[in-house]
Amino acid sequence: MSLKKFSELFEDLDSINSTNNKIEVLKRYFLSNEPIDNSWAIYLLTGKSNKRFISGRYLKNLFSQIYEYPQWLIDTCYLKVGDSAEVITLLLKNKTTLRNKKLSNISLNELLSKTIPELSKLSEEEKNLQIKNIWERLPEDYHLIFNKILTGTFRVGVSIGLITKSIAKLINIDEEVISHRLMGNFKPSINSYEFLINKNINLQELNSKPFPFLLANTIEDKIFKHSINDFQFEWKYDGIRMQLIKRSGNVSLWTRGQELVNESFPELVEKMSYIKDNFVLDGELLVWDFKEQVAFDFSLLQKRINRKSPTRSIQIKYPIIFIAYDLLEINGRDIREIKLENRRIELEKYFSKWQNKTENNISDIFKICDLIFPKDWTDALTYKEKSRENNTEGLIIKKKNSIYSSGRKKGIWWKYKVDPMQLDAVLIYARGGSGRRAGLYTDYSFALWKDQELIKFASAYSGLTNIEIKELDKWIRKNTIEKFGPVRSLKPEMVFEISFEKIQISKRHKSGIAVRFPRITKWRKDKKINDADSLENAYELMKKIS
Amino acid sequence: MRTKQEYLIRYKDGNLYCELADIWIDPSKPVKKALITHAHFDHFTFGCEEYISTKETAILLKERVGDNIKIKTFEYGEEFKINGINISFHPSGHILGSSQIRFVFAEEKWLVSGDFKLQKDETCKQYELVKTDYLISECTFGLPIYKWDEPNKIANDISKWITNSPEKTSLLFCYSLGKAQRLLNEISQTNFKGNIYSHGSIHKMNNSYRELGIDIKDTIKIENKKKIDELKGSLILLPPSLSKGSYLKNFKNIQTAFASGWMSIRALRKRSGYDKGFAISDHADWDGILEVIKKSEAKNVFFHHGDSEALSKYLDEKESINVLLFGK
Repeated sequence: MSLKKFSELFEDLDSINSTNNKIEVLKRYFLSNEPIDNSWAIYLLTGKSNKRFISGRYLKNLFSQIYEYPQWLIDTCYLKVGDSAEVITLLLKNKTTLRNKKLSNISLNELLSKTIPELSKLSEEEKNLQIKNIWERLPEDYHLIFNKILTGTFRVGVSIGLITKSIAKLINIDEEVISHRLMGNFKPSINSYEFLINKNINLQELNSKPFPFLLANTIEDKIFKHSINDFQFEWKYDGIRMQLIKRSGNVSLWTRGQELVNESFPELVEKMSYIKDNFVLDGELLVWDFKEQVAFDFSLLQKRINRKSPTRSIQIKYPIIFIAYDLLEINGRDIREIKLENRRIELEKYFSKWQNKTENNISDIFKICDLIFPKDWTDALTYKEKSRENNTEGLIIKKKNSIYSSGRKKGIWWKYKVDPMQLDAVLIYARGGSGRRAGLYTDYSFALWKDQELIKFASAYSGLTNIEIKELDKWIRKNTIEKFGPVRSLKPEMVFEISFEKIQISKRHKSGIAVRFPRITKWRKDKKINDADSLENAYELMKKIS
Repeated sequence: MRTKQEYLIRYKDGNLYCELADIWIDPSKPVKKALITHAHFDHFTFGCEEYISTKETAILLKERVGDNIKIKTFEYGEEFKINGINISFHPSGHILGSSQIRFVFAEEKWLVSGDFKLQKDETCKQYELVKTDYLISECTFGLPIYKWDEPNKIANDISKWITNSPEKTSLLFCYSLGKAQRLLNEISQTNFKGNIYSHGSIHKMNNSYRELGIDIKDTIKIENKKKIDELKGSLILLPPSLSKGSYLKNFKNIQTAFASGWMSIRALRKRSGYDKGFAISDHADWDGILEVIKKSEAKNVFFHHGDSEALSKYLDEKESINVLLFGK
């Protein structure tokens, strides 16, 4: 009966807003189900599974074929619903004719470890037939979960933190321990669940896992009241945050997204394995300009991220570096409870030891982060303003006497980012949103002037309040010039302030520029379209920075 | 083919109008003579010289807006003549007193569906199938993603929702006329046996229903000064207009839900701001609209209310039914 219970759990979590109630519901679920099903539930709820067995498009085509439904009608429905798995679930209602729902007692374990994975082994024809069979034999209430797992879009309103809390409460153990146990790969099994809820803490068992990452909060005004000497200042690099782990002689690279990325950066793994000590380092991976001693743009790093086993020439073309911020464990000793300033001393000590062994030859791939020493807060501000010159995003400020805990703990680390760059642009296209924003026009494209023409320069979807979104949606429907599928071209009338982090030349875009993280920061109702910025302004901005 | 002006019923200033009888259907602005399909406010406007409706609709309207309107009533099925056109009301199953309106003139039959549903509803007369040549149908839920569950299933879900949180006060938002009474009727047949309160606007409609012979469970009119403890574990019915703003501060430890057909879509549910959504509607779902169109044997179909683009195209492709467009 456990798929039924999981389906109810999904419904509950989806409709409960209070965190405490969610934790209660989860606890109750874990207590009343088999370890193996719990293990799968954790796997799904923590988003550790996002494997896509088939695409949303494939699912829609298949439905259209089986039930002789016009494709355009499914697409129209999709615009309202915003999720392929859900559209098909809704359309499947009352469609399956089989009375005997043979799969009504299927367990979560069977569905996930057998029924679904076996689909990948079938030929396309067999696979389609089998999906139809499952639809027919599965009670309607479970269709949504099945379709969502198939399309790899299983998401529900719980964070990994919430799961961590629930398990911690369940067995009355420190959250940090559970958080650590949940790091890295999680293979659903009876063992992995029992390991998770084991009341005895055994460091050895956590050997292969990174520590939970500590994250910085946005700067708060009250920090300026404190003495500048209480803090350590570092540049905020725009790379991949990572833990570089060497335990029992084995090196592993774990991203903050908890992916093991050894295969993408073999040269780093190799070099680090020459070091004699065992350690855990917290740091950042970057593509590095060794001549200028600054980071290259994030776009170059992207050339490395998704490439496994990069060739020698790729390694030379995009040379990487690991910059260590912090030392968390040394030769089996967990030092996260030691004050930051003392951890820094240890880090420097070990780094110079490793560096001095010439046979290690690590300086072309590994260094520790330079510290900045501002005289006072005004000086700190000056450093921050200069951060674009060395391709960083601002400063990271860390309390010297803090320990390394986990998550976005308040009052320990802060990020002090450069003010974003801004341009006023004209709204010219809108597209229907998906998920929670389905049925509303929420994805927008903005343009800048070039002579008398408006040229698209950025797309953005975040930054408006729900009320503004609704208001703008109404306006969009009334001011459409043309519809192309889900996209509408609009009467140029509305001006928005668009903020972004980076601006650079791009041949791929008609405007000739590309911006990073564009978002809406203000609806400039006070401005007419003639007040909007021009591409010229954008180029000037770019010059000013480089 | 006739021009738009030659149809017996057509659009004029955004409203349905029969020129030959000089009569309007659910007009949104004051006119001389108005036929009213049912007593929801989006089908009624003040200031018309004369209204014509079913007896039930007239009573509900007067209860809502006062006695100060001139309104003539007819029984379901009773024919009356205006300028040679035979007109009659027929149950549409939407709410108490709701009707479809039939027009017969020179052998030509027209039917304005009004708002309608086919699902079971013990608080009003069941939808009556009326055959016609021309059908003007509503199309509020004109996509195949809208398929309603049986109302008793929804009522059981609501009952479970309340009893699963005995420490909480459950606020269920719903339209005060029609939906509220239908929910009361359904919920009284579930396992939920706790107290049910209702807001003044709903309470008033409950009483009207009772006076018209509909058996509605007794509810307690909600007073602002109720002690929080007394409300624990009970159900409170409120109109959706109170879901935003300070009214909710009268309660502590609440859970909220909205009963509406739109709640069948997860994105709408999430965006609505309610904790939960129950998909129950007094409008026909996709299958319902299709069934009515087919069974009415109409040769010509028009839509008003709702987005009918997809449904029109579907009827044309799959059922070879011609959908005509009113010039708005």
